[in-house]
Amino acid sequence: MNKARLFIALVTAKMLVFIIRLLGRGKGTSLPGRAALKIYPGLISDLSSRVSKGVILVTGTNGKTTTNNMIARILEAGGCRVLINREGANLINGIAAAFAREMDFLNSRAFDYACLEVDEAAFPGVASRVRPRCVVITNFFRDQLDRYGELDRTIALVRNALKEMEGVRLVLNADDPLVAQMGRSTGLQSVFYGVAEHGGVTHQGAAAREAKFCPFCGRELAYRYYQYSQLGSYGCPGCGFSRPDPDVEGTSPRRGGSFTQCRVRFRQGSAVSLEVPVYGMYNLYNALAAYSTALLLDMDPQKAAVFLKGYRPATGRMERFDYRGKPVYLNLVKNPTGFNEGIGALVEMSDTGLDVMIAINDNDADGRDISWLWDVDFEILADCQERIREYVCSGQRAEEMALRLKYAGILESRLVVEGDFNEAVSRVLGGDAGKTCILATYTALWPVERILSGYAKRDQTPAEYLPHVS
Amino acid sequence: MPRGIKPRLNICHMYPDLLNLYGDRGNIMAYRMRCLWREIEVAIHQVNIGDSVDFDRMDFIFLGGGSDREQNLMAADLAEKSGALHAAIEGGVPVLAICGGYQLLGKYYKTLTGDVIPGLGLLDLYTEGGETRLIGNVAVEVDLGGVRQRITGFENHSGRTYLGKLDPLGKVMAGHGNNGRDGMEGARYKNVICSYLHGPLLPKNPFVTDYLIACAVNRKWSIPLKPLDDSIEMSANGVMLKRLGCLF
Repeated sequence: MNKARLFIALVTAKMLVFIIRLLGRGKGTSLPGRAALKIYPGLISDLSSRVSKGVILVTGTNGKTTTNNMIARILEAGGCRVLINREGANLINGIAAAFAREMDFLNSRAFDYACLEVDEAAFPGVASRVRPRCVVITNFFRDQLDRYGELDRTIALVRNALKEMEGVRLVLNADDPLVAQMGRSTGLQSVFYGVAEHGGVTHQGAAAREAKFCPFCGRELAYRYYQYSQLGSYGCPGCGFSRPDPDVEGTSPRRGGSFTQCRVRFRQGSAVSLEVPVYGMYNLYNALAAYSTALLLDMDPQKAAVFLKGYRPATGRMERFDYRGKPVYLNLVKNPTGFNEGIGALVEMSDTGLDVMIAINDNDADGRDISWLWDVDFEILADCQERIREYVCSGQRAEEMALRLKYAGILESRLVVEGDFNEAVSRVLGGDAGKTCILATYTALWPVERILSGYAKRDQTPAEYLPHVS
Repeated sequence: MPRGIKPRLNICHMYPDLLNLYGDRGNIMAYRMRCLWREIEVAIHQVNIGDSVDFDRMDFIFLGGGSDREQNLMAADLAEKSGALHAAIEGGVPVLAICGGYQLLGKYYKTLTGDVIPGLGLLDLYTEGGETRLIGNVAVEVDLGGVRQRITGFENHSGRTYLGKLDPLGKVMAGHGNNGRDGMEGARYKNVICSYLHGPLLPKNPFVTDYLIACAVNRKWSIPLKPLDDSIEMSANGVMLKRLGCLF
């Protein structure tokens, strides 16, 4: 350790965070980290070794933020001091910034755990620096391909990084063959979570399915049923690779108005009831991942379930607002699988009439290639023509979004192109349907959220689960 | 349409299960919708690995791209069908081949390590692996049926394609195109259009779609295509042309 450099790096980063906030230029999640790493490249490994009980990394395509926040929520409620990186600050600079912001030179703030969400492409670099105690992998879908090349390569990056590590425990999604394979291919000890067969499973493949072939022998996988996308019960007729029997399995999932519920069965035979105040099957998977992690860290199963119930969704995770008595939902969309989930929610919500706004940007963080919009099943919406009154398309690629909807069979008279966020939000809120739903890509989400909160009230108390607002 | 004629087109979507990357299925959607809006009936034939297909009966064949593994599977299957595809191409069946599908129609793909993977050899072109991926938005000036148009899309490829005695699809105005060097993008041969552009290509370049539909219709009936209201299509096209500084 180079104490002088560490000191300078920390001071610089903290000053930058302070200045950035003072100038109102954002939350200071990246630049301070980059500066600190420039001054002292050993910053992350030095500071992460101070975390007494270990570092937990959450990676995968969808659900990183939610799962990571859920894990932190359980651990904190259990009395632990937890360091967490902020939403989206999941590249190496963001993680360096999180350490630099939360820790000081004299080590006066002791942390039991660090919960870090890590971008798949940044995973090897982060993992080799922090030496995690446990790695959680949520799922692998196509996401921002222009940044990473192809999905196969992303998975290989994570797999090769894991192979370099010893003694790490994995928490893996048993239902996603691309994730579950990590147990066998890395030889690391793994806890598997999954959802059992239930009334809502399908037996048909969908268009945007990623994993058709066995990751070990290349034969086409046979499915007994699908949960969504490539998640389900699969087996390889060639080499026998199949869905591992989950250690933690959700059974009879049920969704209520604003929560999702299931029973959890352990391999040992006992069962508890699990409930999270968020919408959707994918959030149930996130909850099971977080819950499995808590059990792996020796948390009491009953207590962990109670703590998880107190989780609150982060910005744009089907977050609910209230505009003059009308519910308004805000949801982040970033890839076909997540968008299809969002569309499923639209269809369910549309029974009493719905106005929709979709904001599509194509900055680096959104993915510069927006052709993935054509892998989303908007065609389903053509069946709710009468119930969805208007689609306000906004953002840098508003026209492309309108085009996609036109070719999905939506009547042109229902399409409005309004590139400006302010105009678009005020137009959709002024609609006469009983509910409003706004879907936005990453860099569109923040400005839209800011404008929306000027017009509408947040419905739930803590809007963003940020344990350390310093 | 003149009375008594009920045109019906057979569309062949090659390997939809395998090549489902980058929204390329949007090309099929665009082709189909623009036929239906003109009261041209459409039958879509999905051809997956091991399926047999009668290319001669088809009015439009679409071949997309995929990740490396998927592309190898496709290449092996398509090699068995290569003779029939060759006959269809020579017979003037319209074909759209994107990215990996485009490369596969050529003579070979030479990887960075020097391995030569043979292609179907149906078109006079070859591809070499490159150190970097050519990624980004693209604008290309094309001449389709005597009309100059500007197409836009998104490219993402590491292969560099070079044409033999073939016309390119068009001239690169912004972006990399076939190889980032000669300023050409895509290839044309008879009624075959090849391109590196995802986006997907057809929805926001409706004149390319209509060109392919017209090629198919004119082989059987001599009827003009009814014009459509393309204001949304052309505004999506224009957004990117404007951003790239390539608006007329």
